[in-house]
Amino acid sequence: MKELRDLARQLLTDGTVEVVVGWQSSARGARPIFVDKPEEADLLIFDTRCVHNLATYLNPRRKQVTDLGKLALVVKGCDAKAVAGLLREAQLTRDRVVLIGVRCGGVVEEFDAPVPPEISAETIMPRCYGCDNREPHLVDHLLGDALPEPPAPLLSIEKRIEALEAATPEQRWEYWTAQFAKCVRCYACRQVCPLCVCERCVADKSQPQWIETASHTRGNLSWNVTRALHLAGRCVGCGECERFCPAGIPLTLLNRKLQQVVEERYEYRVSDDPEVAAPIGEFRLDDQQEFIK
Amino acid sequence: MSEEFEPRITAFVCNWCTYTGADLAGTSRLHMASNVRIIRLPCTGRIDPLFVIKAFERGADGVIVSGCHPADCHYTAGNYHARRRFALFHDLMAFIGVDAERITFSWVSASEGAKWRDVVNEAVANVRRVGPFTAYRELIDQSVSADHPLDDEVLAAAAASAPATSGDSKTGDGA
Amino acid sequence: MTDVLFLSREQLAALVADLVAADTIVIGPARAGGPAIPGLEDRQQGVAKGAFGTLEYREVRSADELELGPGMPRLSLKQFFLPQNEKLFSWQQKGIAVEVQAVPTAFAPRVILGGKPCDVAALGIVDKVMNWDYQDELWNARRAATTIFALSCGVEDQHCFCTSVGVAPDSTKSADGLFTAVDGGFLVETTTDLGREFVDKHRARFAEPPGGAVEAGTAFRAAALAKVRENFSFNTERVHDWVENHFEDPFWATLGVRCNGCGACTMVCPTCHCFDIVDEEEGVGCGSRRRCWDTCQASKFTAHASGHNPRGDQIARYRQRVNHKFAIYPTKFGEVLCTGCGRCVRTCQMGQNIGEILVAIDEYAQKDTQ
Repeated sequence: MKELRDLARQLLTDGTVEVVVGWQSSARGARPIFVDKPEEADLLIFDTRCVHNLATYLNPRRKQVTDLGKLALVVKGCDAKAVAGLLREAQLTRDRVVLIGVRCGGVVEEFDAPVPPEISAETIMPRCYGCDNREPHLVDHLLGDALPEPPAPLLSIEKRIEALEAATPEQRWEYWTAQFAKCVRCYACRQVCPLCVCERCVADKSQPQWIETASHTRGNLSWNVTRALHLAGRCVGCGECERFCPAGIPLTLLNRKLQQVVEERYEYRVSDDPEVAAPIGEFRLDDQQEFIK
Repeated sequence: MSEEFEPRITAFVCNWCTYTGADLAGTSRLHMASNVRIIRLPCTGRIDPLFVIKAFERGADGVIVSGCHPADCHYTAGNYHARRRFALFHDLMAFIGVDAERITFSWVSASEGAKWRDVVNEAVANVRRVGPFTAYRELIDQSVSADHPLDDEVLAAAAASAPATSGDSKTGDGA
Repeated sequence: MTDVLFLSREQLAALVADLVAADTIVIGPARAGGPAIPGLEDRQQGVAKGAFGTLEYREVRSADELELGPGMPRLSLKQFFLPQNEKLFSWQQKGIAVEVQAVPTAFAPRVILGGKPCDVAALGIVDKVMNWDYQDELWNARRAATTIFALSCGVEDQHCFCTSVGVAPDSTKSADGLFTAVDGGFLVETTTDLGREFVDKHRARFAEPPGGAVEAGTAFRAAALAKVRENFSFNTERVHDWVENHFEDPFWATLGVRCNGCGACTMVCPTCHCFDIVDEEEGVGCGSRRRCWDTCQASKFTAHASGHNPRGDQIARYRQRVNHKFAIYPTKFGEVLCTGCGRCVRTCQMGQNIGEILVAIDEYAQKDTQ
């Protein structure tokens, strides 16, 4: 995208930022790149393979990134929501990052394709469907043409949640315990999540050890449920956790389910406006309590 | 089973309302099921979903979470925060397939000794009906290594019946 | 190698049936048997696509489940020898006494049919560290109990590089025998006593190879060897020397900055074997000591109790991965801690590419000497 390259080159040349974090094309398709020289700005791309949520690099614990200095970050709508989340929770100051927004029509699952695939029901990443932020707001620059709405995937996350809810509790238990049995506790889900930035994660706390660290199903259930709960009302639905999971656990089902709960009970959807408070930490006097005796 | 199953229920209750209400139930000599072990906390706002998960891991078949009615929290807003947290936890547990009968949420005030009795009796009856939660505790034992460990008895029997051994397999203590 | 025999598809089915009937566990590549959402078509389970198709190594109860052809199982054979979580002993409080319960250190015989040569070769490489300063009873016992037949590989894709690290698509390293797919079945060769014993025990299932089968098998293997060599290659000795002598090179920063420290590469790797040991109370007055897979890419991997962390950023941690596999392990044990399966490349969602990295290092190494 020429606009993007020109802007990046400009920001680097006039010293506004030390590094531009965006995407490049490689033998493995699109992948993140840290451009610190103006002449390398030509390597920047934006196409349907750019699935990665680059906001993960804003994690204040990532010393190797914070050491690079002020950076410019290319963000899609979901990525911008994550940046807003960090601002909302005071994990980031706005002056630390220049946000280059790109208009997005959805990304594909095959980020490693040599040529950007066309968006279709077969290729679209399920989590893109229903996106409400295709034109990110929280940005210093907004590039790219407006693109059509992402099509419904062959099997949406909502349909899968619906199918699970239609099943019996025993069937759901069997499904989820089998999924959690696969978990190897690599914590890839946590590492990539732009909002999992706790200096000491509750899973690493050992005095006392609340979450069983051993990778048996019971400990895995504790971990995955706790992570989902800690993201409730904060998760931006970027789907990176599920994409990264080497065991293939459908984490977006858990996160999207809680997103639905938060929307239905508290009329809240995560936005990329850091001024809008998150639902956990807030309350209303008339909150739903039908499940409480 | 010849013995009827006696559920083990753990109750996480706030000090100012439910704990006091439970005390009142006791001093009023109200009869109620004795399967509940109470853990006292300053406020329901202190209750982390991990407490409930830990209780199931350590042998609870059911859990009660109870505190002050909305607007009556000793710390003003603790139970409002808790209410949102509980709602998420309740909905997620149902989604995972944990029987809703196992986790009971209630508001019981310091003067509601009778209500505490009812909450306890109902919770115990519900959990007795759905049975012990051994399925949860046993999640610790699932194996992915596709092997049949041989215990000492099997090895001893094999050794006894096969005089010319290859000497490869070892018996003895682990680790 | 002994004589080449032939196992038809029908006889393979019968062989597996025999083994299962005798309570012998049979493990092989199969369609992922994972849980299905009730009410949804199988194909629409929507399990995250990830970098792989839908194969995994698992126990099978019939030959119908085996997928002995192209395709790389998501995880390696590692979990069958070093499970992702394994009890080492457990304890039970009895009054004021504590009873320690040992775990069995012997296992019933089992068979792996159709392991990828890269996955199988990895076992022999890890054997070295498992028998270095401590004889790992559980690893060794599982190894002793398992007869392994590798399956000649047709080369998965452009990320394979087994030949650069001393393995090959038809390697029999750490295998007791090799299957090669031909029309109607498989050529079978045995390379160890254990393999020969297995074939002898089930001799009725094996036949003489039909006409042309041996030639077809040889052609397949030669083609695979040529194909993987077309991918890319590097010299492990040059890489070893460069890595050993360039600890502070700025090259490491370019790699570490992209990495998330997610550890997926180490989890899917057939040769990665680092584990953590935890003592956990698991009930009231009872618990166990377990070991579980760990990853050098995790920020807490080298965290000391004092608070100091010698590998405090991802640059240091990523460098460690390359260093351990291509410099330290070869120095210590004479073998590269990698079999070129390419899983780490396929699974990395941020695009880290070990092949690209090793080729770059080899080029730097060659420039150094010019």
